[in-house]
Amino acid sequence: MNSASPEMLHCTDMTVLERQRARVKWQEQQQQQSYFGGSIEFGGTSSVFFEQPISQVEGQSFQGLVGDLVLGEMVKPDPGLENRWSELGKFELSNMDFESCGFDMNGAISRTSSCPPKVVAPVTEAKGKVSVPVEKMSSAVGRESCKKRKADKVQNTKVVVEDDTKDKRSKVCAEEGESKITTEQTSTKNTTSNNNRETSSDTSKENSKASEVQKPDYIHVRARRGQATDSHSLAERVRREKISERMKYLQDLVPGCNKITGKAGMLDEIINYVQSLQRQVEFLSMKLAAVNPRLDFNIEDFFGKEIFPACSTNFPTIGMSSEVTNPAYLQFNPSQQVVACCGLEMGINSPEMALRRTISAPIKVSLQQLQPSSTWDADLQNLLNLEFHQGRSTSFPSQPFAGSIEASNLKMEM
Amino acid sequence: MRHPSSLKQEFLKKWIMGLQRCTSSSKKTMTILERKKAIKLSADLAMASARNGTTCWSRALIANASRDHDSRILAEKILGPESESLKKASTMSLIFNNRRIRSKKILKRSCSVRRVRKSLPHQKVFANSIAKRLVKKRTHILKSLVPGGEYMDEISLIEETLDYIAYLRAQVDVMRCVASATQLVNRNGD
Repeated sequence: MNSASPEMLHCTDMTVLERQRARVKWQEQQQQQSYFGGSIEFGGTSSVFFEQPISQVEGQSFQGLVGDLVLGEMVKPDPGLENRWSELGKFELSNMDFESCGFDMNGAISRTSSCPPKVVAPVTEAKGKVSVPVEKMSSAVGRESCKKRKADKVQNTKVVVEDDTKDKRSKVCAEEGESKITTEQTSTKNTTSNNNRETSSDTSKENSKASEVQKPDYIHVRARRGQATDSHSLAERVRREKISERMKYLQDLVPGCNKITGKAGMLDEIINYVQSLQRQVEFLSMKLAAVNPRLDFNIEDFFGKEIFPACSTNFPTIGMSSEVTNPAYLQFNPSQQVVACCGLEMGINSPEMALRRTISAPIKVSLQQLQPSSTWDADLQNLLNLEFHQGRSTSFPSQPFAGSIEASNLKMEM
Repeated sequence: MRHPSSLKQEFLKKWIMGLQRCTSSSKKTMTILERKKAIKLSADLAMASARNGTTCWSRALIANASRDHDSRILAEKILGPESESLKKASTMSLIFNNRRIRSKKILKRSCSVRRVRKSLPHQKVFANSIAKRLVKKRTHILKSLVPGGEYMDEISLIEETLDYIAYLRAQVDVMRCVASATQLVNRNGD
C-alpha cells in the first residue's frame, strides 16, 4: 500500500505538493528504468514521454498525465473541499491495478539498485507517512502539507547522511536538480496558494543543500537552516571553526584573555601579550648588557663563574673525578623533571643545573685560569646553593639527589 | 608540546653556546648597544634553533637575522657550525613559502574584489563589515609581530602565534632569571 502511494497520491491529492512528490519519485524511477513508461496503466503516451530525457518535457507530459488520470484535477486546487475525498476514495478503488504496478516498480528499483536504495527507502517511507492521513481523509490539507514538509526534510537529511560515494552523490544531485526544475515549473503553472510555492522552494533549497554539503570531501559540515550552502561559504565556515578552535587555545595561553569575548578583543589581547613579551626580551637583553659593563661580555664570564664553582669546588677535593660529579647532576636532572613543578625556583634552578651539566665538561680545561677569582666563585656558589636549598625544601622529595647537593655544599663550605 | 623546563634548558644551552661563540671570536670591547644586540640576537637565534626549524616563525627568525649585513656576521658567529644547514633550510623554505602564499594572496585579492563588488549594493552587512575590518586590522598587526607572519594565512598564523608565545615565555623566564642572578652576583661582588 505504501509503495503504491505515488499513484494513490495522484488520485487523492489536491495540492501541488503531493503531485510534486509523486513526480520526484516517478522521475527517480524513470531514471532507473525506462520500462516504466511501458507499464500498463499509462499506456503508450506515457512511455513516449518518459523516455525523453529533458525534464521540462517530462514535467509537462506528466502534468497532462495527471490531468488524464485524475478527473477534475484542475478544479482541485481548492483544498478544503471535502467531497473530493470521497471521490478520491473511489479513484483509489478503481486504480488498484496502478498500485500493484507501483509496488512492482519499487521492488525493481531496490533490486536493481541503480539508484542508491537508501534514497528510495526514505522516499517510500515518506510516502507512507503522507499517504496515511490521505487515506484517513480526516485531516485538513494544510496539516498534511506540513507533514509532507517534514517528510521531505527527513528524506533530504537521509540523503545527506547516507550518501557517501561520489557517483551516488552525482546521481542524487542530477535527480534532485531535475525534480527541482519540474516542481518549480508545476508550481508556477498551477495557480495554487503561496504555501505550496514556499514548500517547493523549500524543497529546492534543501535539494541544493543536499548536493552542496557533500562538496568538501569527507569533512562533515552541517549547514543549519538559513545558512548559505554554496561551497565557498561552507569552506569559509570550516575555516572559521578552525580559527575559533585555535583561538580557544590561545585564550588559555594568554593571561587575562578568557574574560574577553569577540575576536577583535581577543586579538587585541594577544597582540598586547606578544608585544609585551618581545619588549621584555628587549629590556632584559638591555639589562644584561648594562649589568655587565666592565668586561666585554661579562655574561660569558658570569656563566663561566656560574659553571666553574661546581667544578672548582669538586675539583680540589675529588680531584680527577669530574665524572663523579657529573653523574650526580645527571641524576639530579631526571628527578627534577619528574618533580615537574614549574615554580619559579624550579625555573631558575633547572636551566642552571643543566648548564653546569652540559658545559662543565668542555670548560674544565681552562679551570686553572679562574682559580684566582675564587671569592666570586664562592659567592656564586653560595648563591646557587641557597637557591638550591630553597628549591629542594619547597618541592624536592628525592633524597639521593638532595644528599649530593648537601655534599657539594659541604665541600663548598670547606 | 615539550615540557617547559626541558625547553628552557635547551634554550639556555643554545644561548650560552651562541654567546660564547660570539664573544670568543670578537676580541675588541663592545658598546652597550652592541652587547645588547648580540645578546638579543643570540637569544632569538637560540630560541629559533631550539625549535629546530620545524615552525615558520623559527625559520623566519633565522632568515631575518641573516638578512641584513651586520647582523648576518653576528648570526653566523652565533649559530656556529650548524648555521649553514639551518639557514639554508630556513631561507629555502621561506622563499618557497613566499611564492606559494603570494599566489594565494593574489587569488584572495581577486576574490575579495569580486565579493566587495557584489556586497556593496547590499548595505545590510554594515556592522558586520566594521567588525571584519577591526579583526583584519588586528590580524595585520599580529602578522607584523610574529616573525614570518606576513606570509601566513590566518589559521597557520594563529598556530604559529601559539607556538611563538610559548617560546617567548620560556625565553623571557630564562633571561629574567639570568639577569637577576647576574645582578646578585654583581652586588655580592661589589
